[in-house]
Amino acid sequence: MDANQRPFPGSLSNRIAALALLAFSLIYGFAGSRIDYAFSSDPLGPRVFPVLLAAVLGLLSLIYLFVPGRSESWPQGTVLMRCIALPALVLIAALLFEPIGFAGAMFVMTAGVGRIFGASWRASLIGGLVQAAFWYLVFGYLLDVYLPVGELFAASRRG
Amino acid sequence: MNLDYLWTGFAVALTWQNLLIGLVGCFLGTIIGALPAIGPINGIALLLPIAYTLGLPPESTMILLAAIYTGSEYGGRISSILLNVPGDAGAVMTALDGNPLARQGRAGEALMISGLSSFVGGIIGVVGLTLFAPFLASLAIGFGPAEYFVLMVFAFATLGSMVGSQPVKTLLGCVLGLMLATVGLDPTSGAYRFTFDSPELGDGIDFVVLVIGLFSISEAMLMLESHATGTSIVGKVGRTFVRWKDVVFTTGATLRGSIIGFVVGVLPGTGASVASAVSYTLEKRVSDRDGTFGKGDMRGLASPEAANNSCAAGAFVPMLTLGVPGSGTTAVMLGALMLYNIQPGPQLFAERPEIVGGLIASLYIGNVLLLLLNIPFVGIFSRLLLLPNWILVPGILVLSVVGVYSTHASVEAVLLMLGVGCIGWLLRKLGFDMAPIILGFVLGKVMEVNLRNALAISGGELGILFQSHISIILWVLAALVAVGPWALQLWSRRRRSRA
Repeated sequence: MDANQRPFPGSLSNRIAALALLAFSLIYGFAGSRIDYAFSSDPLGPRVFPVLLAAVLGLLSLIYLFVPGRSESWPQGTVLMRCIALPALVLIAALLFEPIGFAGAMFVMTAGVGRIFGASWRASLIGGLVQAAFWYLVFGYLLDVYLPVGELFAASRRG
Repeated sequence: MNLDYLWTGFAVALTWQNLLIGLVGCFLGTIIGALPAIGPINGIALLLPIAYTLGLPPESTMILLAAIYTGSEYGGRISSILLNVPGDAGAVMTALDGNPLARQGRAGEALMISGLSSFVGGIIGVVGLTLFAPFLASLAIGFGPAEYFVLMVFAFATLGSMVGSQPVKTLLGCVLGLMLATVGLDPTSGAYRFTFDSPELGDGIDFVVLVIGLFSISEAMLMLESHATGTSIVGKVGRTFVRWKDVVFTTGATLRGSIIGFVVGVLPGTGASVASAVSYTLEKRVSDRDGTFGKGDMRGLASPEAANNSCAAGAFVPMLTLGVPGSGTTAVMLGALMLYNIQPGPQLFAERPEIVGGLIASLYIGNVLLLLLNIPFVGIFSRLLLLPNWILVPGILVLSVVGVYSTHASVEAVLLMLGVGCIGWLLRKLGFDMAPIILGFVLGKVMEVNLRNALAISGGELGILFQSHISIILWVLAALVAVGPWALQLWSRRRRSRA
């Protein structure tokens, strides 16, 4: 029976996470115990609290390791590709932010994200244009938030 | 009782800028609540950096955020009733009876009654806040560092036992948050901790980056897997009217829900989702004699709606008086105050009455505005549910990037936010809740400082943590809260097996 083979759905990923947290608690605790300081005006000093936290985290992750609990199912196929594409698009937009400016970077991001959320190419391109323009007007003019114009444009303006 | 702070507050909240800010907040909050994907905590996370960048004074930022919080507790019911998809965590219970009512063609009435009970719950909650907060503050004036430290322990104990179904994960989240708070310069010794010699980390991990990453980026990624938007609205809203008979019928449920909501709200860390669940369960036990609950009983709708609104107000009590947030959303608001270098605590009532009073006064005004917005315009808000994700999510991402970039003017901060978001997504897929991490993060510094100050007073003697009556009471309460639910479960299981 499937239910017998997998008593806890997703328990493997939970166990991996528990091991990762356990390792993290060891590294954090070790680093915490070696914090450099010349003096401290209190008897505890800057090391004890982090080491205490590391101990609690270690203990909790051991419990977590043996009682992994439930997790959601992991995305597969197209959904997984989309889950990778979304942060990738934000990354691209962040890297483009200063070179091509707010409006351009936001167009790339909004059009791309619109597309992975199921809009047609046409709708996502138009949506991207409208959102880029709308938010540029809202933040750049209405709320007067500092946003980069883009080095490319700034350079052409200077030239 | 001295309510001077409240009159100062009304003078602040009734200036035209703050009224306008409150109205905008109520409007945005209702939308944020109504949209199935995002709840108050996401909305506040998104708008906090923008309010901060615009240079709003702290009291106006608090008024804006409080209006969004209250507004979304009103708005959450709309999608619960019309789509059977809760608009936010506090509205999960609303769907149980709200959606069956909509299927019976009584959506309009359901929206009206739930709007009214939201209002009653909201007002009862704010009155409770007005009266109870100064009392708790005067009690907390006597708290020393040892008491504060034990109070934090109590807060985490409540969180572990009441929030979520997986207490280990909740507590792991708290500890991770506490650990994140240790990064940066340690003021007592001048030591740099966990900064890896990076000057950016010297000031610690940035609150805005953390909150937006955890609540906005990871949310957008989760939304890729959800399909519940904009397609299956139950018919039209229909006639919107309130029948006197229904009002009388639901009065008891509304009042009970309001009181439960307030009490749950005051408990540290437990937010609207717990409040509405507790009140619905109780109401079902008290009133459901004919088995009508879950099939469209107005009382099953009124009770959780009153509770989640009253809880939102109650959650401000520990936040404003003790500096311990009453819910995940108030944890973010506490972080917002810290951005302004304001540390909430009992002295806040005396030192900054314009902030505390302004916030509380704005909740009175906000609830009235929200009733006015939510009764005649509910049809407009319900149409917003048709907004497809391919427009909504890019909009959320733009707000996230602008929020982080504008508070730091650095692309590195945006990249860090993205990294935090991906980790947040992994954790959420594993069944972790994000609110405990934020709670741990905002309480981390205070907890450590108080522990160290307490031991500095006692000369390193641990006994100081168990000395005063208040500390002992708090330790006992923490133990009861931590062990109580397990013991009850064990007891009822034994009884059942015996029967």
